[in-house]
Amino acid sequence: MLPIELYEGLESAWCPGCGNFALLKAFKQALGELEIRPQDLLVVSGIGQSSKFPHYLKCHTFNGIHGRTLPVGTGVRLANPELKVVCVAGDGDCYGEGGNHLLAALRRNVDLTLVVHNNQIYALTKGQASPTTDQGQKTTLQPQGVPYPPLAALALAVSQNCSWVGRGSATDPGHLQDLYKQAITHRGFALLEVLQPCVSFNRVNTYQWYRERAYRVEESPGYDPENELWAYQKAKEWGESIPIGVIYRHPRPILEEAHPALAAGPLVRQQPKRDLNQLLADFF
Amino acid sequence: MPVDLNLLIGGAAGQGVHAITLPLAKALMRQGYWVLGVQDYQSRIRGGHLFNKVRLADRRLFSSREGVDLLIALNQETVTLHQQELSPQGLIIYDAAEVKELPGDVPSLALSPKNLLPGAAEKAEIAVNARACGAVLGLLRVPLAPMLALLQETFGGKGAEVVEWNVQAATKGYEQAGALAGRFSMEQITPPPEPRLLINGHEAMALGALAGGLQFICGYPMTPWTSLLNAIALRAERYNVVVEQAEDEIAAINMAIGASYAGARALTGTSGGGFCLMTEALGLAAVTETPLVIVVSMRPGPSTGLPTRTEQGDLSFVLYASQGDSPRAVLAPGTPAQGFALTAKALNWADRYQLPVIILTDQYFGDTQFTHTPGEFPEVQVDRALTTGPSSGTYERYAYSADGVSPRRVPGFGPDLVVADSDEHTPDGHLTEDLAVRVKMHDKRLRKLKGLVQEMGGITTAGDPDAALTLICWGSSLGPVQEAVARLEGEKTPARMVHLSELWPFPAGPVAAALKGSKKLVMIEMNASGQLNHLLRQETGIKVDHLVLKYDGAPFTPEYILRGLSGMV
Repeated sequence: MLPIELYEGLESAWCPGCGNFALLKAFKQALGELEIRPQDLLVVSGIGQSSKFPHYLKCHTFNGIHGRTLPVGTGVRLANPELKVVCVAGDGDCYGEGGNHLLAALRRNVDLTLVVHNNQIYALTKGQASPTTDQGQKTTLQPQGVPYPPLAALALAVSQNCSWVGRGSATDPGHLQDLYKQAITHRGFALLEVLQPCVSFNRVNTYQWYRERAYRVEESPGYDPENELWAYQKAKEWGESIPIGVIYRHPRPILEEAHPALAAGPLVRQQPKRDLNQLLADFF
Repeated sequence: MPVDLNLLIGGAAGQGVHAITLPLAKALMRQGYWVLGVQDYQSRIRGGHLFNKVRLADRRLFSSREGVDLLIALNQETVTLHQQELSPQGLIIYDAAEVKELPGDVPSLALSPKNLLPGAAEKAEIAVNARACGAVLGLLRVPLAPMLALLQETFGGKGAEVVEWNVQAATKGYEQAGALAGRFSMEQITPPPEPRLLINGHEAMALGALAGGLQFICGYPMTPWTSLLNAIALRAERYNVVVEQAEDEIAAINMAIGASYAGARALTGTSGGGFCLMTEALGLAAVTETPLVIVVSMRPGPSTGLPTRTEQGDLSFVLYASQGDSPRAVLAPGTPAQGFALTAKALNWADRYQLPVIILTDQYFGDTQFTHTPGEFPEVQVDRALTTGPSSGTYERYAYSADGVSPRRVPGFGPDLVVADSDEHTPDGHLTEDLAVRVKMHDKRLRKLKGLVQEMGGITTAGDPDAALTLICWGSSLGPVQEAVARLEGEKTPARMVHLSELWPFPAGPVAAALKGSKKLVMIEMNASGQLNHLLRQETGIKVDHLVLKYDGAPFTPEYILRGLSGMV
């Protein structure tokens, strides 16, 4: 157990009451319990309120551009498979701007954790619909209501045999902390979506809204996260009740194992073979 | 009598035009010719018309040229489209099963696969190609044995039977050409004491990257860049390189940035449209000061343009791509040997100055086979410029420094944390809105170019140093311009070439010095607007007298350049 003060970063610029505070605290506690030192962890983020997350932590940090957390994190893992990598993105960042990278990540199964802070709104740009905003919800850009249904990202992940799929909620921080620990220690690509109330720009999906709906799925009868069909049904469940917990587990080989060059550890510690005569011989 | 022959091998895509060109060119190179091979193809898998040109000479070649001495036609279209290019000594070798109409006044040699290898169509197709190769060698009175060895190398993987068909066919063609032999006798050319290389620009860059310690490459396929990605992938296992195919170009560059942040020597690349997608992350590499080499292999635009043709139309684009004043370096090799050296140098500069280095190539450069000597590929140095020593306890990734270069650490070497941010940031890497810090940090990043420009040069000259006429060019135009200069000198018109391969930060001093004393400056570029011309004017104030431009998608020839100069010389 490491003290959470070890992970203390900059003072936050999130709005008072922001759901992100609960996520940050639970994440630090999970790191402490897992005894992951700041120097052993890289947090990659993109653009959005969620992407300030690593600045409020203490660890290796790569805060890149909108939607591109997964390619950066993948590149890091394919260069240094000893580094623990957590990608933090928002619903707009990951499901919108970077959607193609999510599809590729589900197939690749790189050993990293993707945490999607899902507040169902674009907060940084002040209140437009995100890919997860509910159908019919009125926003600054959709005053008549969002005309189409939200993306069922977890169902998509299950359908592609994502090796670990879970959902947490800012309204249940103890439970969330445990999910962080499971996702981070899972070998393979782990998608953890976290319900995160936005107190400034989403007046529909409030703390109370989530509290009334989110239930711990592992406590319900028939819990069976190794079962693809069960998992798919749970991943599609959204509305009056929203399951939180581990929804799907499907261990499979990780991408790092497919690259023989990584067998000898981080590339930066390897001495490249640079035999010029052998290189030229192909062309004589 | 100097030897200088142009062979054109044409057919439909799928007929094996490329498959026979390489063994033929290689056999000729091994025999002692200086060989230069150019590919021309359409953006399709089968059908259409494609051709390769192989020029061979008894002296060093820098460029292809116009005219055809030996037309090898695997289909009728090749004869129809190229017969008017035949020189007075020209000759046609053709597949009798495909070609029915020939010009009456040109000597020709029919190859009939049916008589040779009855049976499967596949056999006949293989046979006609190998037979054409044999016939060419017979015509030139070049020994057949090296070709037979190459057929073994090329087709050995397909089994003894396939090798045997090819050997039979080549031998038959060789004998058949006997009747015409002597027309282009080259008996006096003997194999060189030291083996030479037949290598194209992208292969040479792959070698430069691997010799330069490349560890990670990713990319999305796009013509003409793909051939470089393939050349490295082919050798990845032997050289311990991680190769990952990205889901798109945006992923490719971000993935390469991630790998480089983690300490791997990384390269990505693309062509025009793909680079449009990469430009946001080009700025990310600049602001996070992440070393990265990006190859941009040009083809004619705008948009999809002519996907399989060549142009030098993306110089202005790569110079200014991405928002803000975003530091980068831009290089453009002119020969495979330059491509080899510049790729290794680009990896070092990227690491030393912690910025993206773009290497501009094009379809002509990437696909054209040049003959080189091994001595033109010297050992390269690797300079990682990484800080890996004991932790200072107060490490700042973006510490201010006199030359703008901050000590670079990567994760995995102790407790120093590496914090990188696309936002404007403080020296410790965290985002800031302090406007004074913004100015100081921006100045620090841009200051790196002042050091880098001191290292820039890359000027290649040829011809008469005192000539009044100077032809300026960059990138892949080197060869055609160099030959144009040699031909002018042959016609008693002194001329000089000044070729630039290191374009940004622009080495204004050395370039101005190289151009000093010339009375007439001509800029020669494969684009419609004269993009280096703009850059030269902007950076030095020098105004050229004349522009020779080409943007039809086909490469420069010395003849085209000389026609463009007519009236001036």
